[in-house]
Amino acid sequence: MAALDTLKAFFEASLKPSPVVFAIGFAFVLFFPVLLHILVTQKSTYTTLPSVLLVGPSGAGKTALLTLLERGPLSAPAGEKPSLTGPASPAPTHTSQAPAAVELAVSTDGTSSFRDDLDATGATAKRFLLIDTPGHAKLRRLALSHLSPAKPSTSPTSSYSATPKSRLKGLVFVLDAAALADGDALPATAAYLYDVLLALQKRASGAKGSKPPPAIPVLIAANKLDLFTALPAALVKSNLEAELGRIRKTRSRGLLDSGVGADDDVAGIEEGDDWLGEYGSDKFSFKQMLEFDIEVEVVGGSVLGDGPGADRWWKWIGQRA
Amino acid sequence: MLDTFEILTTSGVVLWSRTYAHVSPSVVNNFIADVFIEEKSSVVGAKDGASAAVNPPYKYDQHTLRWTFEKELGIIFVAVYRSLLHLSWIDKLVDHIKTIFVKLYGDQLKKPNTTIVECLKFDEYFDQQLHELEQTGGKPDRSEVRALEDDADLEIPGEKSPAPPSLIQRSRPHDTLDSSPVATPSASRPSTPGVNHLVVAKAGPVAKMSRRARKGHNTNSGLVSSGDEGSAKKSKAKAAKRGRKWDADGFADEDDDVQLDYSAPNAITSDSEAEAAGRLGAVEEVDASTWGSNTKGKFVLRDLGEEVHSILASADAKNSIEKFDSPAGLVGSSLSAISGLFRNVVGGKVLTKEDLDKAMKGMEEHLLKKNVAREAAVRLCEGVEKELIGVKTGNFESIDARIRKAMEASLTKMLTPTSSLDLLREIDSITAPPATSLRKARPYVMSIVGVNGVGKSTNLSKICFFLLQNKYKVLIAAGDTFRSGAVEQLAVHVRNLKELTAREGGKVELYQKGYGKDAATVAKDAVAFAAQEGFDVVLIDTAGRRHNDQRLMSSLEKFAKFAQPDKILMVGEALVGTDSVAQARNFNAAFGTGRSLDGFIISKCDTVGDMVGTLVSIVHATSVPVLFVGVGQHYSDLRNFSVKWGVEKLLSSN
Repeated sequence: MAALDTLKAFFEASLKPSPVVFAIGFAFVLFFPVLLHILVTQKSTYTTLPSVLLVGPSGAGKTALLTLLERGPLSAPAGEKPSLTGPASPAPTHTSQAPAAVELAVSTDGTSSFRDDLDATGATAKRFLLIDTPGHAKLRRLALSHLSPAKPSTSPTSSYSATPKSRLKGLVFVLDAAALADGDALPATAAYLYDVLLALQKRASGAKGSKPPPAIPVLIAANKLDLFTALPAALVKSNLEAELGRIRKTRSRGLLDSGVGADDDVAGIEEGDDWLGEYGSDKFSFKQMLEFDIEVEVVGGSVLGDGPGADRWWKWIGQRA
Repeated sequence: MLDTFEILTTSGVVLWSRTYAHVSPSVVNNFIADVFIEEKSSVVGAKDGASAAVNPPYKYDQHTLRWTFEKELGIIFVAVYRSLLHLSWIDKLVDHIKTIFVKLYGDQLKKPNTTIVECLKFDEYFDQQLHELEQTGGKPDRSEVRALEDDADLEIPGEKSPAPPSLIQRSRPHDTLDSSPVATPSASRPSTPGVNHLVVAKAGPVAKMSRRARKGHNTNSGLVSSGDEGSAKKSKAKAAKRGRKWDADGFADEDDDVQLDYSAPNAITSDSEAEAAGRLGAVEEVDASTWGSNTKGKFVLRDLGEEVHSILASADAKNSIEKFDSPAGLVGSSLSAISGLFRNVVGGKVLTKEDLDKAMKGMEEHLLKKNVAREAAVRLCEGVEKELIGVKTGNFESIDARIRKAMEASLTKMLTPTSSLDLLREIDSITAPPATSLRKARPYVMSIVGVNGVGKSTNLSKICFFLLQNKYKVLIAAGDTFRSGAVEQLAVHVRNLKELTAREGGKVELYQKGYGKDAATVAKDAVAFAAQEGFDVVLIDTAGRRHNDQRLMSSLEKFAKFAQPDKILMVGEALVGTDSVAQARNFNAAFGTGRSLDGFIISKCDTVGDMVGTLVSIVHATSVPVLFVGVGQHYSDLRNFSVKWGVEKLLSSN
């Protein structure tokens, strides 16, 4: 009986407008959302870090760049650990078969060098993932699958979901500027770039609903500028634009893909669906991609050697991430 | 000697490497591209975690690569050496290094989102293994030598055997070394005093013996998986060591000698040092050097040796346990069966071979029904099975769904071409080369080969129609100088095409020399004529031939040499079944070394519905991509092959 009485008393007290109850209620109302917010944001940082994708043909230096950026902080404190090779150096690499992701940190204003060890300085850091993809032609679907908005096999009625699995913040297309000088590498490189840009364009234009997908800027990193034969960034840009224009033309004149037209459900293909950039334009330039909110920038640099280094790429990545 | 040893991940980062002689990175890159990505090696399941002895060695540019692959962690172990050398112990080294590396750094490798593995200390482990194997592998196993030694002793009992062996060892080494420097590899001398005894007894037999023994050893390593071998050898080696100590006990001063000899090989860390020490020859000098370096480091190294041995032994033990793993009790098995059933539905199940077997059978049946040749279906299924063993299924994902997904990925990878197949772009770059290049403009030459009646002429005219629409000037060469009516048939096609495309600006002509002429000469003349008259593309038709008729196929080599086609396309029927594999292989090999097919055209796809298995069969047999598919009777019924379309058709169930 006594227990019931105390319970009753407690209920009455909690419903009375006493200052204690007010204080507790007020505190609850105030702190609950804050707690919830902390809980949720903490969780989300672990599940979906913003990510930057590295793509490009085989042998361009994607994995080397990845390891350079990752190992940057390690070799920086020369005082404590006598580093073996002086400045930050990438690990030796070979042809990749599988994608690799690396967690990197950049200071919140995006100005820190990749050689700074942010944990040591205690600066607030943004963390993001840098995803390396294999460049071999048979494995490119691994890279392009990051760009496709949704699985094509899912029902076509479901509109594009605004929260993709990975929060893709930028795309770095690494290419070998030294190889572009001779004839064969340019068409192959440009063909891959064409596929990437077309996937991005379709992603932007194919989005339904009011909210367009977040724009993905593209950095074309002209690597290996430390080599004598390498083309400077401006020349890389103009060569690529010319080649992309040519590819665009031949693709538009090419045969239809098998399956197109045979099945009735794909009957609604519009003309110009596969046309990169401004439809019907004569010459291609990267500026045309702005129409689809795709900002393309060509920046030179080098992973190895005494060239311009990778600092400008890192700055770009840091700002976008 | 070993040129380089590398440990790298599937994502391309080299975790650890040791280089003795510079090897171009392209060697390893080509190895990865050929073996892992394009899967050119015909050995099924080469991606498995099999030992290096089983994996076929990869040869490239005077180098031979022995390798093994750790699937779970995604690491490849590669040893590169000159093909001229015959190093029988390499596969064992690769396997041992794999075991040690995985044991030591496996935890680090499982960390997500990093490529850094701290393995600076691995140098020591590697050196230890390398020396141990160089000594045991370059020479016969100690135990074997010992047995042979005994024989030798028996053969010549009167000569020197009465003296205690240890005494002989003390007094004799100089002479024997001088008299028979070839008898034993010098580097291994200090480590095997037991052998020395024998050498003393008689130099000749040892040399003979070791050769014999080595042969036996080589054949061994070729056949047996090296794990068992390693354990066997280790136990033998241990026995030998114990015996030596016991021998030495009789002489107080010998004790030190033996111990030093035992540890000496470990103390020598670099090759050059080892060689130098070996060259000194005199046992006393080696002794002195080891006395001098009797520091802490040596003991550390010796501990290392023991640690390595224990790692290898535990790995062996685990393997043998797994082999004889008996099923658990009745309750245990039924419990696991129930949870397995549950997980079949819910997902999160770790797939085993038993789980997969039945489902893979179903998948194989499905592929066979789609007209995939059995050979290709079996290989695909085995590849997928290897890939899936040990993989965890996703949430609410059934095994079948997972297999389907893996098969889709596998098919996509197989059918995706390695290089871009933009035909118009290629023609442009040949007929109108960029000003910077030194090439001269010339007509682009394409030829079409195939078995009788698959539609060579029809597909040729379809391609011609496509090119005419793109305003090229096309010359068709009638290379079929054998079958009656073949030239007339092409003439009809040309007449039709002329009418069809007259308005669009294309131009097409027929080049023909009648019947009975040599086809290769006709083709060559046609190319010369086209260059003269300013044609852009030459399309050469050829006579149909049976792929297993040597006489007919041999003329293709001459044809390829005379006409120098930029592209040789083979037409294959979608209707044909298992024979497609042999057709593709024989045609691919018919053009002599250095020339192969550049692509396939699969005709009559409209007649088979979704049973397009021929696609898979021929690509599987040759790793040559499919360029076009014929989907109808009209000139316009030619399509680029879309990988997605093909895979969807292959996996669709009805």
